[in-house]
Amino acid sequence: MFERAYRQRLEGDVTRWQMDGVITPAAGNAIRATLGPLPSGVNIATVVGMIGGLLIGAAFLAFVAANWSEIARPARFAMLLAGIAAAYALGAWFDRGGRAFLADSAVSIGCIIFGAAIALVGQMYHLGGDFAGAMLLWAAAALAAAALTGSRGALAVALVVGSIWSGMRVQEEADVPHLAFVAFWLIAAILAVRWNASVARHLVALAAVAWWLTAGITLSTLFSVGNATLVVAAGAALMLGAGLAMANWGSPSLRAFGLTLSTYGALVFAIAVAWTVSGVLHGRVRPLPWWIGASGVSGVGLSLAAAGIGRRAGPALAGLSAVLGLAVVAAMARGTGGDEPWLVYALALASMLSLVMSGMLDEVRPRIVAGWIGLACVIAGITWALEGSLLERSIFLAIAGIVAIAIANALGRFMPKEAMT
Amino acid sequence: MMMRLNGILARVPRPLLFAAAGVMQVVLIALIVFDRVSILREGAEVTLQTTPVDPRDFLRGDYVTLNYEIGTIPTGALKDTRMAGRHMPLYVKLAPHPNGIYQPVSLHLEPPAVIAPEVLIRGRADGGSHCGEDHRSFCATVRITYGIDRYFVPEGEGTEIEKARDKGNVTVIAAVTPAGRAAIKRLLVDGKPVYDEPLF
Repeated sequence: MFERAYRQRLEGDVTRWQMDGVITPAAGNAIRATLGPLPSGVNIATVVGMIGGLLIGAAFLAFVAANWSEIARPARFAMLLAGIAAAYALGAWFDRGGRAFLADSAVSIGCIIFGAAIALVGQMYHLGGDFAGAMLLWAAAALAAAALTGSRGALAVALVVGSIWSGMRVQEEADVPHLAFVAFWLIAAILAVRWNASVARHLVALAAVAWWLTAGITLSTLFSVGNATLVVAAGAALMLGAGLAMANWGSPSLRAFGLTLSTYGALVFAIAVAWTVSGVLHGRVRPLPWWIGASGVSGVGLSLAAAGIGRRAGPALAGLSAVLGLAVVAAMARGTGGDEPWLVYALALASMLSLVMSGMLDEVRPRIVAGWIGLACVIAGITWALEGSLLERSIFLAIAGIVAIAIANALGRFMPKEAMT
Repeated sequence: MMMRLNGILARVPRPLLFAAAGVMQVVLIALIVFDRVSILREGAEVTLQTTPVDPRDFLRGDYVTLNYEIGTIPTGALKDTRMAGRHMPLYVKLAPHPNGIYQPVSLHLEPPAVIAPEVLIRGRADGGSHCGEDHRSFCATVRITYGIDRYFVPEGEGTEIEKARDKGNVTVIAAVTPAGRAAIKRLLVDGKPVYDEPLF
């Protein structure tokens, strides 16, 4: 999808350059030739085929359910196994014919039928009890199928079901941090790096966000320790730092994975800081487990290490953003004693500004967007805070604006122009 | 290591990889069934008194939730000691009452030795049994689930069992292996079998 859009833009540019005489027609043709044929994507026929496959899968399950009482139990059992086998046989057939999307869909449907089979076998044989255990079995089998066949859909099933399993275990066993899911997640991350596939990178990063959200909510509600936002902010800082470290070290696929992880970390971090400034955390003084602080500190350390490895200022500014943002969340969590937390507001603005600058220096647009979203939300949070004087906040924002213009002026004087674009 | 893994997978024909994924999932489903069959085949028969209710489970049709008399056990010496987990495994020694219904004798963290006609059954601690400041210590009693807490019936038939439940006349004959794993073998209403579980 993005490749097609890029090529359309490039074609427009090359045509314009030729008309303006910037490049010769031969040079234009040479540029076009370097791109090669457009990789085959998902066409309408494939999409319709995938929907057809999904409908057939749903019809199969509905048929089994509708005739549940009439079909003998061994026959029901055999139908479930046949459904799984048929899905994988179809997948192999499509794969052999070079129809990768249909093969992927078939494996995904196979994984969904496998999950349904666990539930239906549980019904047939009265297997009650460990629902989370059934989720683990489903997730592990889907992950194995993804590893064997390279199916992105199976990876999606594995991560969604795995996240449900982790959430249930955390709630049932009060198992925080749920380290078993970390091992599961690492396998999924290895697959994402091995495949060098964008969709896999995003799925794995989203699963990490879900894990931190679950940890935060559980710690604050079940154990009455800490608060969810501080936990999530520390986790996001770790994702940001670890992602930046990978983005500056290793193979291209590891770099791409690190970049995606850092982008999700930056976005979640910005939202967590803005959430804090909106005043949700006022007056909740609670202790936190050591590993939360360690995660935040590690995130900052990894960002700085990334700056050292890549000799770039971008990761260093991201680390600075993390330090300032974590200070904001920690300070707000301790309570403000009823006074306006001007220093905290200033640190929050500085944190988000650092994040925007980090994205600009590294030329990573999503990080810039994350920083802008954070800035906008922080300003909105300061402006519309329910307590305190609106006039004082107006003066504060004016001073912050003057400071920002002064910094811009100083940067304009001391930094070379090309470094600022 | 990743390169080596890539190399190994690249050498295996693609259809074989798809087959391996499918066979693995088929075998896993089959193992669930065979595991349950082995319990029914090898387990000792234990009669348990129930107090069922009749909810509806999403995706899985009608079932009867079976609340057993052995579902709530006094913790005795374990009271106020720290639990290894909110759903930690627990072992209950059962002995038959003169009326044939098995009753709890003692609660254990590890499987104790039992002498016939005593039977050991394995369960997991359930919600509502967490005391202490961190909610991780044993209370005076503990609720335990044994993995035999649901019995699926054809749509609509759960109500009939519920009526019998109201009279307190539903009992279950469970097969229990020496390791304490249990499976429902028979459901009795008024002492008469209404559902008899085949092996397959």
